[in-house]
Amino acid sequence: MHIYKTIKNFLIDQEYYIDFWQENIHIYGFKKIDALQENRAVFVLENFTLEILGNDFRVLKLTNKEILLHGNLKEMRVL
Amino acid sequence: MIDSYIWVEVKTTNNERFFLKCQEIQVFLYDVIKEKEGLKIKILEKDYKKLQKIWFIKVKKIQDLGWKAIKEKAKKYRVYLISLFIGLVFLYVISHIILSVEVIHSNQDIRFLVTNALNEKGIKKNTWKKDYQEIEKIKQEVLDMYPEDLEWLEIETKGMKYIVRVEERKIENEKNEPQACNIVATKDGIIKEMIYQSGEAVYKRNDSVKKGDILISGTIKKDEETKKMVCATGSVYAEVWYQVSASIPLTYETSERTGKVRWNIKAKNNGFHDFLFKSRLENYEEDATSLVTLFGTEFLFVKQYETTLNTLTMSESEALDKALLSVDEKISLTLDEKEEIIAKKVLKKEINNSTMNVEVFVSVLEQIGERQEFVAEE
Repeated sequence: MHIYKTIKNFLIDQEYYIDFWQENIHIYGFKKIDALQENRAVFVLENFTLEILGNDFRVLKLTNKEILLHGNLKEMRVL
Repeated sequence: MIDSYIWVEVKTTNNERFFLKCQEIQVFLYDVIKEKEGLKIKILEKDYKKLQKIWFIKVKKIQDLGWKAIKEKAKKYRVYLISLFIGLVFLYVISHIILSVEVIHSNQDIRFLVTNALNEKGIKKNTWKKDYQEIEKIKQEVLDMYPEDLEWLEIETKGMKYIVRVEERKIENEKNEPQACNIVATKDGIIKEMIYQSGEAVYKRNDSVKKGDILISGTIKKDEETKKMVCATGSVYAEVWYQVSASIPLTYETSERTGKVRWNIKAKNNGFHDFLFKSRLENYEEDATSLVTLFGTEFLFVKQYETTLNTLTMSESEALDKALLSVDEKISLTLDEKEEIIAKKVLKKEINNSTMNVEVFVSVLEQIGERQEFVAEE
């Protein structure tokens, strides 16, 4: 397990990252989900809160600090 | 323990609340598919109980994945899997076992010698196949055991059989040619042909000779004086005579196929054989095809053709022809390529108890010369 953690730390050295491609939104490293609606989602990250706005948001995958959403992204704000 | 995944169906009126709850209770969703009646979600099996405790959703397991699914399928198809396993074991066994060892050589002593030597080294029937290195080692050991008898040895693995080819070592013995010898007659007869390489002919063509007469002499003379002693070599063909009798029964039996055919399986082992099913035909001819040989027992597929026996009677002339043919066969057995029957004459013919007895006088062209040593006088 130590080797696995060391390799993971080496490969993923950011605390968070947010990716968009086509109609998918991938957020890694959030601490908490405050809202998860069809047109709005709010994620609490280490130093800020991220709000994304759009429509038809739907969860594809969800783990403790990672989420994959599908939908039309219109706006993204740091609160 | 490996974590298994499962697919569950979740029915809820508030998806957002459900996702947030999952986040709160640390239930991870590895795949979420929105369907008409709810959500189809892939989760870890251990999280299923956590979902069941959420009061505002209805959750139902719909499919096992991973290790558990494999276990379920294995349980469902256990009969096929066990059969496959037994089949593979059987295949492994029959492809790694030797059921017979065949030593190929014309000399029985060599065959016996090699078979025993190989037996000692573990090359015998009903044993596991040996690998290439081991076979090579055994080959060398057997050759070393009998350096004077064996020149070369090859062990070939063919299916469930070892085929052993052997070359005998032949040490040429010094020829012990006799110093002086004559060719003498072994039978009475009239000389028809004389071929000789050394020596001096005593008789010529159409001369009559008696058994024991010297035909080709090893003593070379000139002006009645012995010049040289040699070993006479050659062949002398003469007309000799035999009186042969033959008996032929005038009635004989022939079998005829009725067209009725039955199939059977025959097991054959060391000269003994038995049928797998009871034969329902009284008289039959059979046609056998080898199927398989297992542990020294050969299994044959047998077609049995029903036959009826008919008793026929021969005419006198037919019986005589057959008797003469029988005489020919009897004489021909002792003749070589150059020897032949010259003439035949029926001396006596009688019929007694449906049997024809015939006495035949036969003239034969036959090699009558035989080498005989003698001590050369100084």
